[in-house]
Amino acid sequence: MNVDIKASQMKKSSVFLIFFCFFLFFCLSGGRAQEVASNRECQKCHSNPNLKKNLPDGKVISEYVDFELFYRSVHKKQACVYCHIDATNFPCKNLQKVNCQRCHYKGNLAGAPDINKYKEYSESVHGRALALGDVKAPMCQDCHGSHYIFDKADTLSRTNKENIPQTCGICHLNIYTVYEASVHGEALRKEHILAAPSCIDCHGEHDIKEHTDPKSSVFLTRVSATCAKCHANMELIKKYNIPVEPVETYKESFHGVAIKFGATTVANCTSCHGSHAIFKMDDPRSSIYKDNIPKTCGKCHPGASQNFARGRIHVNPAKKEAGIIYYVSRFFKYLTMTVMLSLIIYIILDLRKKIIVRRKGEE
Amino acid sequence: MSSNKKKKEIDSASTIEKLQQEIEQELWDDLTKDVSLTPHLTEEIKKLVKERAREELQKELKDRYAKLKPEKVEIPPEVKKEEERMYSRLSLNIRIQHVILMISTLILIITGLPIKFHDSAWAQFFFSAIGGLQTGRILHRVGAVGLIGIALYHLMFLAFSREGREIFRELLPRPKDLKDLWVMLNYLLGRKREKAKFGKFTYVEKFDYWAVYWGMVVMVGSGLILWFLGIALSIFPKYVADIAREAHSDEALLATLAIIIWHFYNAHLNPEKFPMNRSWLNGKVSEKEMEKEHFLEWVEIQKKEEMVTDKPVEGTVAEQKE
Repeated sequence: MNVDIKASQMKKSSVFLIFFCFFLFFCLSGGRAQEVASNRECQKCHSNPNLKKNLPDGKVISEYVDFELFYRSVHKKQACVYCHIDATNFPCKNLQKVNCQRCHYKGNLAGAPDINKYKEYSESVHGRALALGDVKAPMCQDCHGSHYIFDKADTLSRTNKENIPQTCGICHLNIYTVYEASVHGEALRKEHILAAPSCIDCHGEHDIKEHTDPKSSVFLTRVSATCAKCHANMELIKKYNIPVEPVETYKESFHGVAIKFGATTVANCTSCHGSHAIFKMDDPRSSIYKDNIPKTCGKCHPGASQNFARGRIHVNPAKKEAGIIYYVSRFFKYLTMTVMLSLIIYIILDLRKKIIVRRKGEE
Repeated sequence: MSSNKKKKEIDSASTIEKLQQEIEQELWDDLTKDVSLTPHLTEEIKKLVKERAREELQKELKDRYAKLKPEKVEIPPEVKKEEERMYSRLSLNIRIQHVILMISTLILIITGLPIKFHDSAWAQFFFSAIGGLQTGRILHRVGAVGLIGIALYHLMFLAFSREGREIFRELLPRPKDLKDLWVMLNYLLGRKREKAKFGKFTYVEKFDYWAVYWGMVVMVGSGLILWFLGIALSIFPKYVADIAREAHSDEALLATLAIIIWHFYNAHLNPEKFPMNRSWLNGKVSEKEMEKEHFLEWVEIQKKEEMVTDKPVEGTVAEQKE
């Protein structure tokens, strides 16, 4: 009996040991080790900082890959050949551009985020330009980076909020320089206020559209809603001391009402404030600076004079800051209330009396 | 008709008396001839018989009246019409002015309110139904032209026509209007039994008339600033335009409420006028209404008529005024 028990115990412990060994094996030398091992082949050449390639058009591009950085990226567990699928032979020549859609599609099993950004991209201005054969149109790796893709919370990431203007600026250089100087650019890039918008907060990311496309977030009828994301946000208004509720007052203004009911020749936020060159109203560069107002309003109201600058634009008659308009509004409010109340009381008294008289007459 | 009826009544009354007398006589004769009764008893029997006779007679009378009644209903309708005399109150000119004012105001309200209440679903529906804001704006300006036009015409009418000047004099507010209001409030509250006696225009009508002046000044003034914004802003600073917008929007609501609640009550929903006071169409008021609502004017008209002719001739006054 004793021997039997011992034997069974031995059996148990040996089974456990075998499993433990497998576990260790997987932990230490599992999948990743193999991939890294395959990457080692590539590393042999591509970790050389001087590795370059001459393109037929005379350009010289570096083929160096900083593997230190790569192993911190989101694709650290992927082998080179997972993306560079045509790098089968050595030397790997004339490789095709990497197609991210191989993994990044909805319902993929490769462990990539299960989202449909690729489809959004294909319907965007960039995707459509690419489909039409525009060689300048950006592909995934132009914005996200190729080897060094990080989570957007990582400051190394090209899609990190503070880095986005630069990423977009690679192509949109003029706008980038204007944006950098604007109130939004300064807040984000110099003062590191993350509530300030980068390019994508207004234009969208993968689904970015031309500003003339009615679906675009910066289309003239929709731009006020886009600005409203921050400028109607009471928290932000309080935190950054924005004096009036610009979006609400715009919606109440004639401009806001007209645009709502389909007028297209009426001012939206950007008509007056500019789109990228937005500055504070006390900044002489601003389109809404006192001296620039005649010119800004003159775009639509020919012959606009300095009178346009005498008075607030975003006025809320219900608030004391509106000055005389507040008192006008108050006056009419009380006038309406007293007049209507007295008239209604008179009507009620009149009706009451008529009922009394009629009853008496019948009796 | 009535005299006829009276005659019959008199006839029946006399027949009753005759019959009674005859019965009495016969009874008396019978009672005194054969039967010897105490005078006291005979008196009682007499009474009973009298009463019985009276009952019979009344029954007979009732039957006769029932036969008469259908004749009584047959009153020729022409007779009644001749009795109702109509007084002219609003001339054709004034009625046309009122209709133009009404149409312009309605257009302005219908196309203006959806802009004020742009968040509501019906505003959305309205603009999609008429084909966008631009159509609404054009219609609003058509209404504005009508309103301003009729306002200017009315001022000319007041200044240059005899009728206009007379009416304006009548419409001027007087201390009597406040007194009338006081009397009427007391009447409505049941403190006094007498209503106030009004002239051609009651304080209610004067209030309505002068309220339109206030509305006109505010709406036309602010509306013109908003319409010709470029010109306005070359003269005034922007805050003037903002004030104009606020005033235009607020006064519009006040005017609309006043029309819907106050004017509709007075002209339509008032139990005495329901479904509407027709004088905006035919310009006339009945004698009854004259006596009730414009007693002093009515009395004055009567006096004038008596001065002109000793006999008041029916219907001529209305024709003369037109």
